[in-house]
Amino acid sequence: MSLVVDVLAGGVRGGTSIMYAGLGETVSERSGVINLGTEGAMLVGALAGYAVTAETGSPWIGALGGAAAGALLASIHALLVVVRKANQFASGLTLLFLALGVTSFYGSDYVGKSINPFTKWDVPGLSDIPWIGEIFFQNDPLIYVSYVAVPLIWFVLFRTRMGLLVRTAGERSDSLTVNGYSVERIRSAAVIAGGALSGLGGAHLSIAYANAWFENMVVGRGFIAVALVIFASWSPLRVMGGAYLFGSALALAPALQARGYGVNQFALDVIPFVLTLLVLAVLGKRTLAAAPDELKRVFENAPAKT
Amino acid sequence: MTTTLPAPRSEAPLPVAPPEAPASDRGARLAQATVRWIAALGGAFLIFSALLISKNANPLTVYTDAWNSTFARQQSIEDIVIKMAPFVLAALAVVVPARAGMANVGGEGQVIIGAVAACGTAMAVGDALPGVTVMVLMMLAGMVAGALWAGIAGAMRLLLKVNEAVTTLLLNYVALDVLLFLIYQPWRADPTGQPATKELQTAAKLPLLAGTTVNVGIVIAVIAVVLVWIALSFTTWGFSLSVVGGNAEAARRAGLPVAKLLLSALLVGGALAGLAGMVHFAGVEYKLRPGFGAQIGYTAFLASWLARHKPIPVLLACFVFAALTVAGDSLQLDAGLPAATVNILTGLILIAVLGWTTSTRKANS
Amino acid sequence: MSEAVLDEPPARSAELAVPLLSVSKFTKHFGEVKANTDVDLDILPGEVHALVGENGAGKSTLLKMIYGVYTPDSGRMLVEGAEVRPGSPADARALGIGMVFQDLRLVPAFTVVENIALSMAGGQFLRPDALAKQIDEASAKHGLRVHAKARVRHLSIGERQRVEILKVLMTGARLVILDEPTSVLAPQEVEALFGVVRHLRDLGFGVVIVTHKINEVRAIADRVTVLRGGRTILQGVIPSDYTNTELIEAMVGRAVSDLVADRAPVAGAAGSAPALELVGVRANGDRGNEALKGITFSVAPGELVGVAGVAGSGQRELCEVALGLRSTTSGAVRVCGTTTGSPRAALKAGAVSVPEDPVADTVVSRLSVLEHMALDGRALPRKRMGLNWSMIRSRSEKANSALGLKMAPLHRKVSELSGGNIQRVVLTRELSLDSTLVVAAYPSRGLDVLNTRRTQEILLEKRNASAGILMISEDLDELMSIADRIVVMHDGHVSGILSADEFDRQRIGELMLGGAA
Repeated sequence: MSLVVDVLAGGVRGGTSIMYAGLGETVSERSGVINLGTEGAMLVGALAGYAVTAETGSPWIGALGGAAAGALLASIHALLVVVRKANQFASGLTLLFLALGVTSFYGSDYVGKSINPFTKWDVPGLSDIPWIGEIFFQNDPLIYVSYVAVPLIWFVLFRTRMGLLVRTAGERSDSLTVNGYSVERIRSAAVIAGGALSGLGGAHLSIAYANAWFENMVVGRGFIAVALVIFASWSPLRVMGGAYLFGSALALAPALQARGYGVNQFALDVIPFVLTLLVLAVLGKRTLAAAPDELKRVFENAPAKT
Repeated sequence: MTTTLPAPRSEAPLPVAPPEAPASDRGARLAQATVRWIAALGGAFLIFSALLISKNANPLTVYTDAWNSTFARQQSIEDIVIKMAPFVLAALAVVVPARAGMANVGGEGQVIIGAVAACGTAMAVGDALPGVTVMVLMMLAGMVAGALWAGIAGAMRLLLKVNEAVTTLLLNYVALDVLLFLIYQPWRADPTGQPATKELQTAAKLPLLAGTTVNVGIVIAVIAVVLVWIALSFTTWGFSLSVVGGNAEAARRAGLPVAKLLLSALLVGGALAGLAGMVHFAGVEYKLRPGFGAQIGYTAFLASWLARHKPIPVLLACFVFAALTVAGDSLQLDAGLPAATVNILTGLILIAVLGWTTSTRKANS
Repeated sequence: MSEAVLDEPPARSAELAVPLLSVSKFTKHFGEVKANTDVDLDILPGEVHALVGENGAGKSTLLKMIYGVYTPDSGRMLVEGAEVRPGSPADARALGIGMVFQDLRLVPAFTVVENIALSMAGGQFLRPDALAKQIDEASAKHGLRVHAKARVRHLSIGERQRVEILKVLMTGARLVILDEPTSVLAPQEVEALFGVVRHLRDLGFGVVIVTHKINEVRAIADRVTVLRGGRTILQGVIPSDYTNTELIEAMVGRAVSDLVADRAPVAGAAGSAPALELVGVRANGDRGNEALKGITFSVAPGELVGVAGVAGSGQRELCEVALGLRSTTSGAVRVCGTTTGSPRAALKAGAVSVPEDPVADTVVSRLSVLEHMALDGRALPRKRMGLNWSMIRSRSEKANSALGLKMAPLHRKVSELSGGNIQRVVLTRELSLDSTLVVAAYPSRGLDVLNTRRTQEILLEKRNASAGILMISEDLDELMSIADRIVVMHDGHVSGILSADEFDRQRIGELMLGGAA
């Protein structure tokens, strides 16, 4: 049984960075913009989070730094695809490159440097609940923040005017124009907010989960987040569940190895990606019907409506 | 995604501008475009310089050092040409699907799988066959493997409507894990040394061009460019791909076999990327090791965008990126900056080109 | 914002009233195209003003300038006597101008509440229940039945239109512009709409109704303004002072006689297999809903069958099924006796088509007219490895002169052409082919009167050459004048099939709404 609890607890810990990135991507895609640069936003978020924590000594300021770095990178995506109408896939991948370069350029000073990371904090009372407590309430503060962030983002998207405008941008942007709103401004805001969340996810990786910075440490989590959003049908609540599923897949390898099972590491490493592909294969067609209309046009490479 | 269709052969070229536009107008437009390119690239270098200064490196020294160590030595120029060959093939792997409106971001994985298949073939036949036969078998194996790998994404797009950009990206990581799995265990040459496969038998290595260290990969790449250019510009297949890429529904209504065309574009793309992997394996690395072929696929994707998905300009774009890669290596040696630093420049150049080299605001949509 | 709805409307008044809107000498040229030249229009409170003119007369340019989408090159605009210059639709709305677009700008994925919230000022938080209550009140007040919590995707076109009108009223408009509101409705629905329009007039609203149907002008308008070629031909005149012929002449510049099809049986067509035969056809729509619920009818060679129905009753799916573009869940589709399950099979059996949405369904970005002409559904003509462009060129030129629809030059990029010009390219390509079946959805969409007439003539010529014609149209007059039979669709069913001697507007309208009455 403890293996199950280990894997699930590992799923929450390891899945939270993916969840933040998935939430960010949800906000962005709800406005009609897919951002493959999420991987890059996580990278710069991880480095900025780590560096700011190292310089200030406070992981909280570090987390903000990570979010700011993610937002900054996403603002380039917004500029390129929203304002300059560049191709969304090409722009996203370009930003990944930029992030790889920038983080290795500025990151070399922080490799091996020690910081004062987020520490585990047991929620009084709740953490004593068998299983549940161990899985959900013996974690770092950024994980507790995510418990609030998920319903909050749902509320903003579906119960506020701001969310309504973002969703309209993704469904039918000319309805915004007719009502006197600027599509460009709303989409840019959504993309940048999404980048901030992805940056926060990256920061969680470096200052709460791995407590280290090394080059290219995100290794595909950002891309998993992009896929996750699709089969979560652009719903923040389902993103949460999906992220924990992938976190668990990631946690399986160390949990098995700790128990002395001689499983090939790479066979386990590949699980999250194969799992993502399988889930997309099973659910992809069905969930795609729920895609925002203008995002669907991006997926189908349909010429932009004028 | 697609580019302007080349003029039908036996006809007067379709004018780019409306016929009433006088020649001086076209000249002005050309001048405008040139200025825009120069300004965009200048901006990219300016920002890069600022980054260098922030790390206490003198940009002028860095640029002159990089230039000297990249272009002033015969060996560096040969290195560029060697690096260029897989880039070109992998970029064509983006060009062909792009003509049909698809984004193949899976070059990275298709290159690796192509190399794995080539290596496996060489290991399987051993010294039993003459070198040339092994080479041909490796090429075929690499191309088939690359095509099948891309075919997974193709099948998911056609049968399940899952976007190929997302699936090809995920497949990159799967390919990487396949590579690592093989070289850490079943194919590992030396259980105590570095994880890598046995070196390719000498007879099966790609031959060098006379008097140089450059292997024939570049010749293969140039031939591939010409073939792709002909296929896309002058055949009914190429025309049909443009129609599918321009409006798939219109293609379907005109009775074109859309699914077959989409799949064929992706399979051809995957085969070209697999060939890139074979060339990189049999011409450069000779063994599989961790980090094999890293970033060839992504760089090639961006090179294809830089070339606006046109086969001939792809050669130039890949030359630029190969030179940047070589310059990055020298940057590491001369200025003590990480080799990945050039990724910044690559990114900045692409941002400039994607965002600021066309006046029409929908140019890339 | 409900206050705006509950406000006492301005009292209905006579000539002395200050116009709600007064436009003088509006001019807007797009390069060579003189969309509007010195156009005048004035709207009084408490009147229904018809704005008429054929496609390309400049109606939509005028409306877009009034609504702040375009800025006029010159001219003045007064709202209740004060000079204004709306720079955006939001400005126009703040001035009390509301517009219901022909293509309805609602977000299908949203509920009615969310759609209306989008247009209303209000706080940062959405209060769906409170707004739903407001919507119910307003809808009761104006007799516009809507279900506030429903998703727009699930509403019929008529319901969507009511939502749009309600939205405009709830955002405080005093001038309501309806852009071709009747084109998507059944006759009985039109009557209901006119009831709402009269109610608004009686409350003192100004209503502009865009149409090109003279009988609608007579039914609803207090005054009429006629545009032609971007100029005002008649301004604010009283319809009863003019005869139908005079109004039509004002619209099109010369008298156009009614086209009368002779409906003579086509020799040699009898006895052969139907051009199109549908037996118990069921098929799903794009969203998995059942769009065709058992369709059975056939089109004989040498017969023109019209399809009438409220928009969204399954017409599009019907065309797609006939052309092999949409798979059926049960039933049989045969073109000239052969079962067709794919576009290629249908094309091979001799089907050609004019699609419902030519831009989305036929225009390939970056390709020229010539290249589009190659995509006529036949095998691409080859020359060695490539295409035989000189052959495509000569056959395109031949088609153009034979049909006389004056297609744009062959080198032009189709994506840069106007809607009417795109339609002419499609019509020339498809109707110049030898065919056994023509599936034409709204063939005269975007065309002016003369090209519309020519297109109808071509369709009749095809009929007389033994092709079967299936023609979808939202213009009942058009169908009744040239069809041999009319199939009426309602909600995915065939609700009735009428032969020429049974054509009756009232009867067709009842069938469009389900036919029980």
